Amino acid sequence: MRFRRFTVVCALAVLAVYALLILSLFYFFDGAAILTALASKRVLFSIQLSLVAATIAAGLALAVAVPAAYALSRYEFRGREAVDAILEFPLIVSPAALGAIILIFFSNPVGTWVQEHVLQFVFAFAGIVLAQFIAVLGVAVRFMKSAFDQVPRRYEMVARALGASPSRAFFTISLPLARRGLLASGVLTWAKALGEFGATIMVAGTMAMRTETLPIAIYMRLSTADIKGTVALILVLLTLGLSALYVAKFLFRDRRARA
Amino acid sequence: MENICLRVAEGESHALLGPSGAGKSTLLEVIVGLRPASAGRIELGGRDLKGVPAEKRGMGYLPQRLALFPHLTVRENILYGPRSRHLSPAAYRPVVDSLVEATGIEALLDRRPDTLSGGERQRVALVRALAARPSLLLLDEPFSALNESLRHELWHLLRALQAEYGFTTLLITHDLSEGFFLGDHISVLIDGKIEQSGDRDSVWRHPASVAVARYLGIRNLLEGTVVDLSDSLVTVDCPAVEGRLEVNLLPGRPRPAIGASVFVGIRAEFVVLRDLDHPPREGEFILQGRFVDVSVAGTDVTLLFQPAGKDLTLEIGVNRRLLRRFGIKADQPVMVGLPRRDLLLFTS
Repeated sequence: MRFRRFTVVCALAVLAVYALLILSLFYFFDGAAILTALASKRVLFSIQLSLVAATIAAGLALAVAVPAAYALSRYEFRGREAVDAILEFPLIVSPAALGAIILIFFSNPVGTWVQEHVLQFVFAFAGIVLAQFIAVLGVAVRFMKSAFDQVPRRYEMVARALGASPSRAFFTISLPLARRGLLASGVLTWAKALGEFGATIMVAGTMAMRTETLPIAIYMRLSTADIKGTVALILVLLTLGLSALYVAKFLFRDRRARA
Repeated sequence: MENICLRVAEGESHALLGPSGAGKSTLLEVIVGLRPASAGRIELGGRDLKGVPAEKRGMGYLPQRLALFPHLTVRENILYGPRSRHLSPAAYRPVVDSLVEATGIEALLDRRPDTLSGGERQRVALVRALAARPSLLLLDEPFSALNESLRHELWHLLRALQAEYGFTTLLITHDLSEGFFLGDHISVLIDGKIEQSGDRDSVWRHPASVAVARYLGIRNLLEGTVVDLSDSLVTVDCPAVEGRLEVNLLPGRPRPAIGASVFVGIRAEFVVLRDLDHPPREGEFILQGRFVDVSVAGTDVTLLFQPAGKDLTLEIGVNRRLLRRFGIKADQPVMVGLPRRDLLLFTS
């Protein structure tokens, strides 16, 4: 019983730490300031920019992550271990270092050529999407792989034996069976992209009405000692993030119940 | 796997028997095309299947855990094969309708697999595997999770379907009764090697090796040395019974040399109980001793017999009726006979 109590206390302590931090925001809560902040063009732009960039970055990450995760979950191939190990790369290096690495890439001849002939990334909207994409890609693959791992291989094996090509077995069996896990992973990826700060600020800078995402806007408000404005933006980000997490948890829970 | 050579004739029901871990499922997955073969060759109707992917082999596969697609209805499950093989409805509908009717699953077509009972799932999986008229149906212990009566019901159903549609079947199982009920032809796979392959009766009556005999449940195995040899008879000196056993030599089986170490075996049900007051019969090796244990399992009774003064225990199989009729009890003195016609010879 003592051990059980100890573990439960630890679990509740996790909740207490985060709840305390969130509740402390309300010390500076000012309804009028929130309304003013939400009505400002700059804040609305930041919200819109964050939502659009995170959606594109998460969408691109998923487009790569779903097939990559399937390959990691199902096939043995040369380089598989290396791919699996590199997935944690964005987590190991700090977000700021990740952003710096991207910046350095665009300073080399290849990166400069890309900037000049393909697309401008540094201090541009494309840079925000790229920074978020790179920051979430590894995690997205890890999430998706876990979703595919949950689907027993025997379903695909039977589908193949019944005459389905590998792609038909994937689209008609594996994908539908992993659907909820993939959706939940997608939502988490999107939430992570939405909150991305370090890499984004390094690549895209802090230009108001151009590259100022919601996390950057929070940073900018705080740097000018606008606490109430900062709290207002944090609450907006918190609402968006927690809603996404709730959706993801709902999808995961349903998947576990069906398993 | 070692020197596997398995031939399944068209229209035959072939059972591959073997203990768990013998490599049966691996072999089946290689045949289906779900696992690459590191060496060797698989042919189907004379066509080499090397490099042919699973979906182009035209086989039906029923795995141990059935793997009915949980997100599809029974109907969608059944039609998955014909649709994947791009068959026209005109080509598959008569077969599917007839299979659905024969297995009695008409009422289940719009249901999902998770709402079906164990027996219903088996039927659906069987119809799904047969719906695209496979050239070979591969069954991987498909009935192992069912209770006894349901298993028997499905065995009869499978036999009936096979008689009606004439499909070729390769079944793998570790269950002897299942293998011998469903297989016309039996192969025994032990430690990655096919130890014996032959028709059902010949495998059951004449196991080819000690390993097969043990696997088929023959526990009465006596070690001995060949002391005499004629065209049709081998005399083996068995220290365990302090005597010489005469064993018929089967045509086609290797002849042991004089002095060779061999095993003599007899099935528990072929050891006969003899009356202490009557003389032994011709062609029987007689042992006197007592029963040391009587185990009853349903209608089957296993008696453990120990010959007097010998360090040996023989298993005798009788039924419960005989047990009652003769009032057999543990520690009872008794005489048993080992008929020559039922003795089996295994070269070491």
